[in-house]
Amino acid sequence: MNNLTRRELLQGAAALGVAGATAPRSAQAQTTQKRELVVAQGGDISKFDPHFSTSSNDIRVSFNLFDNLISRRPDGKLQPGLATEWKMTGPTTWTFKIRQGVKWHNGDPFSAADVKYSLERTWDPNVKSRVNTVFTTVDRVEAPDAGTVVIHTKKPDSLLAARLAFYGGQIVPKKYLDAVGGDQFNAKPVGTGPVRFVSWTKDDKIVLDANPDYWGGKIDVDRVIIRAIPDLAPRIAALLKGEVDLITQLPPDHGERVAGNPTTRVLSALYAGFYVLAVNSKRPPLDNPLVKQALSLGIDRELIVKELWRGRGIVPSGFMVKGDTLFDPSLPPLAYNPAQARDRLKKAGYKGEEIVIETTSGYTANDKPMSEAVVAMWRDVGVNAKVEVVEYSVRAQKNRDKSFKGLWWSDPTSTLGDPDGMMWRLLGPGGPQDYWRHARFDELGDAARFSADEKFRANAYREMTKIFLEHLPWVPVIQPYEDYGAQKYVEWTPDPLQQLEIRRFNLKVRRA
Amino acid sequence: MSGLLPFLGSRLLRALVALWLVSSVVFVVMRLSGDPVPLLLPPDAPRSEIFRVRAELGLDRPLPVQYLVFLGHALSGDFGRSIHFREPAVRVVAGYLPATFELGLTAFVLAALVALPVGIVSAVRRNSLVDQLSMGIALIGQSAPTFFIGILFILIVSLKLGLLPTSGRGDWRHLVLPALTLGAFAMASIARLTRSAMLEVLGADFIRTARAKGVAEALVIVKHALKNAAVPIVTITGLQFGSLLGGAVVTETVFAWPGIGRLAIQSIYNRDYPVVQCVVFVSAVLFIVINFCVDLVYGLLDPRVRTG
Repeated sequence: MNNLTRRELLQGAAALGVAGATAPRSAQAQTTQKRELVVAQGGDISKFDPHFSTSSNDIRVSFNLFDNLISRRPDGKLQPGLATEWKMTGPTTWTFKIRQGVKWHNGDPFSAADVKYSLERTWDPNVKSRVNTVFTTVDRVEAPDAGTVVIHTKKPDSLLAARLAFYGGQIVPKKYLDAVGGDQFNAKPVGTGPVRFVSWTKDDKIVLDANPDYWGGKIDVDRVIIRAIPDLAPRIAALLKGEVDLITQLPPDHGERVAGNPTTRVLSALYAGFYVLAVNSKRPPLDNPLVKQALSLGIDRELIVKELWRGRGIVPSGFMVKGDTLFDPSLPPLAYNPAQARDRLKKAGYKGEEIVIETTSGYTANDKPMSEAVVAMWRDVGVNAKVEVVEYSVRAQKNRDKSFKGLWWSDPTSTLGDPDGMMWRLLGPGGPQDYWRHARFDELGDAARFSADEKFRANAYREMTKIFLEHLPWVPVIQPYEDYGAQKYVEWTPDPLQQLEIRRFNLKVRRA
Repeated sequence: MSGLLPFLGSRLLRALVALWLVSSVVFVVMRLSGDPVPLLLPPDAPRSEIFRVRAELGLDRPLPVQYLVFLGHALSGDFGRSIHFREPAVRVVAGYLPATFELGLTAFVLAALVALPVGIVSAVRRNSLVDQLSMGIALIGQSAPTFFIGILFILIVSLKLGLLPTSGRGDWRHLVLPALTLGAFAMASIARLTRSAMLEVLGADFIRTARAKGVAEALVIVKHALKNAAVPIVTITGLQFGSLLGGAVVTETVFAWPGIGRLAIQSIYNRDYPVVQCVVFVSAVLFIVINFCVDLVYGLLDPRVRTG
């Protein structure tokens, strides 16, 4: 059943006189007459209000209904959004020039007051947003005139521009929200983005129309439909049959099916995140760096990438993902060396204490198979290792209570293109994965957070990487690719942070 | 008809008790299953934030208090606000009902229209080719997992033959495959039960008598046999109808159909208590109403039921 050939498809269609069989299919495959783009993702959105959700299904929509002051493009670079220019005008002051002539989808004019309102809304205790921790470095926002916004930070914050480019940074309409309230805004969102809201049937489809007056140019289709097709087989079938133009969440072992079909292809982005085994470094014997080094040396990551990910990933070299601004390409990938691993265990005086990976099954991609593979590799070097499968809510509870027994899977994401937004946010003092402290590491992390000197920061993270590789509060395993299936007539670049960038510069539909 | 009012009264009372029990069990089970708050917030949300949201949702109050608040509101038709969607739970569930009814009713009508004649014919022409073929197919329909039938349909009918859309809701063409998939099990059960009920009756003395009197065969089958075999057939048909409306999770997932089964499962994953409670309540009401109708039909079919 898996190998429907093009000929079979043609024969079936032709025999039954189905539409589409009239024109030669191979010519059709490369172009289309369609003026709409249908995207199928694995789950539906939960809300339109961009300040109330951070899930990848939701941001694929909200980043297109709304604009940020600054936009992070799929190549990782920060580009003007609703702000045309920005610069640090003092150690703790940023000044933004606001784009003129932009209109909200309901026709209201957009101005600096909307920006001030939006940012303040994220941390307003009365709004109770879900993104109130995004701008904790901001002290206050001023809008001295309709074309200028000034943001004062509490301490120097070199990453403010990056923060403004991700979730929490979407700009919402002050006047409309004041008039209709949060619920109505969530039901009928109004933004400045390249598409505007038409309708939503939950778990079925979202209909969005191109904004003809978009400041970045009208997008290359008239209408965008986002469908939720949770099951993988029908999602792929819908793509192969041509009912949808683009599908998200294509697992590595299904890529061939899409790539082998004459009208479709696989598009991918190196995901800006890792799968790591986070370590409870407080529990013996995991408090001993030598033991953790042995565990890291005992994992054959190349084999995991090859067998479990069909080659769709790369081996990490430290705590920075490839794609981060400060990523050091000269660092070698984390090594596999069973002899050294045994040696370190001996030096550590390891006496066969049980080491447990607590894994969910299916919460993060390949979590259970990877756990089983890793545990088998560890046993080969003499570690008394074991897998325990826990339910997702149990994992969430353990995460909150910091009560993991040994190691567990975490999927940290580099939302700011900088280790401060990933490693330091999670592993730093008081962070959600604070199980290990090191005086020099902490000193550097803190200094790098509040420094605007790029050279200083690069050096600090270089030294931190050395300490990290010795102590391994995380055992990074893979930086995966994120794959999509697309019709060949869709020219589109996927985003490392799972956004669905459909603006003019990134989406082109080839027409006959 | 003097027995009808007490009959209705006792049924109503029983229905209310059942609804209360179902709601309470779901309330407790959902609370045991975990905390929705970590699922709502980014993974790095600080503890203070988790506590704040717990308080905002009223989850910090003692369980008995939460239960009383829930009961009080539920009595006035208010199931609270969906944690996931930020909308009243009732409105969320209501949005899914049209798709549910559309699919459930179609599957049911399809199942009944096919299964009843097939069951009757199989019984009358026992051991004939028709009987063996249809009962063989029914066995497959009853034992093949729904997701398997569904995906098979998509791959063959939609993808290979290009006849129907692969998934989603739209015009009648979108309805065919999910309705067949969902109806397969009900169709098979109804056909098999109709056959065995009919066989039992067809062997009875009064059928022989009727035939001996020279009553036309068609009349014997419909009037004498079918009417007497009807009680178990109506029972199974009613039960199947209930499960078609409430238990279409797999079919809805495979065909990306926006029905309440899928809503229920997702809401459980999201720990969206208000929606789960509302869905279960609505499903329970549907079941009870259908059972009630089945009971009424019993009364029409067999006068002994009313007094007994």
